Amino acid sequence: MAQDIQSADLIRSARFRSEREDSWKRLETLLARVEKSGTKTLSYSEARDLASLYRQAMNSLSVARSISMDKALMKYLEALCARAYLVVYAPQESAVGVVQKLFVSGIPQAFRRSLLPLLIGFGAMIIGCLVGVLLYQQDPSWYFTFVPPELAAGRSPGASVSYLRDSLYDTGGRDGDTMGTFASFLFSHNTRIAIFIFALGVFAALPSFALTFYNGVLLGAFVALYAEAGLLLDVFAWLSIHGVTELSAICVACAGGAKLGLAVLNPGNLTRRAALKEAGRDAVKLAILAGLMLIVAAFVEGFLRQMVQTIWLRLTIGWGLGLVWLAWLLLSGRKEEPET
Amino acid sequence: MTAHTADITPPEGVQVSFDISSAGARFGAQFLDILITFGGLLAFFFVMIWLQVFDWALLGTLFFLLIFLIRVPYYIFAELVWNGRTLGKKIAKIRVISADGRRLTPHQIVARNLMKEVEVFMPLTTLFAGEFSSTWTGWALAIWMIAILAVPLFNKRRQRLGDMLAGTLVVDQPKLVLMPDLAAQNVDAATGFVFDAGQLEVYGRYELQVLEEILRAEPKSPEAKEKVDHVARTIARKIGYRQQLLSKDTWVFLSDFYRQQREFLESRHLFGDTRENKFHGDAETDQVPRKSG
Repeated sequence: MAQDIQSADLIRSARFRSEREDSWKRLETLLARVEKSGTKTLSYSEARDLASLYRQAMNSLSVARSISMDKALMKYLEALCARAYLVVYAPQESAVGVVQKLFVSGIPQAFRRSLLPLLIGFGAMIIGCLVGVLLYQQDPSWYFTFVPPELAAGRSPGASVSYLRDSLYDTGGRDGDTMGTFASFLFSHNTRIAIFIFALGVFAALPSFALTFYNGVLLGAFVALYAEAGLLLDVFAWLSIHGVTELSAICVACAGGAKLGLAVLNPGNLTRRAALKEAGRDAVKLAILAGLMLIVAAFVEGFLRQMVQTIWLRLTIGWGLGLVWLAWLLLSGRKEEPET
Repeated sequence: MTAHTADITPPEGVQVSFDISSAGARFGAQFLDILITFGGLLAFFFVMIWLQVFDWALLGTLFFLLIFLIRVPYYIFAELVWNGRTLGKKIAKIRVISADGRRLTPHQIVARNLMKEVEVFMPLTTLFAGEFSSTWTGWALAIWMIAILAVPLFNKRRQRLGDMLAGTLVVDQPKLVLMPDLAAQNVDAATGFVFDAGQLEVYGRYELQVLEEILRAEPKSPEAKEKVDHVARTIARKIGYRQQLLSKDTWVFLSDFYRQQREFLESRHLFGDTRENKFHGDAETDQVPRKSG
């Protein structure tokens, strides 16, 4: 071993190594422990040593680069420093802190910064809805083109008014348990759709827009069907109770996607990749917001829609919830500095 | 496939390079993750149904929740807790790092994994379910999906779209192996091969490090000994070493030469005369004239 040899006999780079090898080895054992069982297992002095040994190793690497031609040593030091860097610079935020910051300032600020994408998102839905209504009024057979049979479930042009009315007020004989299943299914399904719409935005925003637009057309055709049967207010209330939140969530997800798409289409002075990264900060928060809204919407749709049967209560709950969202997004986190 | 590296500059200001993970390792890790999550889910429900502890309604609720959780949320949670590693990545010995030399932030982890839905799950389910017919839209869809899956193969840092969005890289976990120092190890064994400055002028860093690799494994078989012999004689010829070189001495000859060559090159390097390879003499004319000859 290196220690047995008179250090005077060694060439400079070998001497450099033999003097520092012990501290590298000590860092290595500390790293192995942290990687296996976390930083929490270190005592105070060990944690302090880890930091200073890391800096020493970094220093060694930089010196070795200038004096040593020993390839094996360089490789080792490089790997040691890389490993230590990943341990020392591990994520340190507490989960509670992250979530709190996200809710108080992160999401509302991102929402307020994204006016254009939000216009695109809600625009897609609204225009789609209008198109759906107009096409249906022109020719009800369009309905079959838009609405897949499994979604329609018998609610198609030509169905009797009483059948349609029942479909809005029928509890379907669901008890508490099945409502829970239904709610979790809705949440799982809708959130995936929302993430999907969001992520598709990266392809120049068009697929997100198209999907949201299609959702709007569906909605429009559906509403027109009920309006024809004279049930406009009923269907409006039925949709409002969860739809205000759920459809807004889809629009928000689309807005997140649009934000990414706009960055790709119009990166300004940045490279496309840098622009995408920049836009990602707010876009991801919009996606989280959409997910959050969908959780709430699924609960409302799964439980409340079946339990609340009067028009006015449905309207109040639905739009009241909408107001709560809007108040949070517009008012929260106004005082703080915009985060970096 | 050739190995790429990424140079990361930590706040300490010393560049550290990581090996970018191969496409195979990435694919393997993703495959393992899918296997683990879906396999775990199935196993869980088999046990639950077998034990009959929950009624069907509750099982249904759980099922839909879990089927959602094992997609994007699982990856986000795992990478947050294990600092850029999911179970599959742990097994494949790869990890996510931030490309800017800072620590991995929750934002980056969420961003790269949200994109997973269109980059991994959608193409995989569509392609495997065969949800495209032989119409031209079907084919266009299939080609598009394959193109998305192939994005990491066609850029130098093997980033998928989510990585670009988040500014992350997937790299190999660095392996720690400290080989003994060849220059220290053989210092006692000096039997008197001494080289003068003229003989050490010939080679540069590259040749030195090739020699280092040869010296890492002492030859056992006759063929290997033959090779070492050949290397030693070639070096002796090139540097103009005139004395007789016996076959039993070649290993010691190479070790001695390695140590002295390294000492020589390192000290030239300290004086600002770095010799990258044996062509250092030829390149001299193209470069700015040096003061130290």
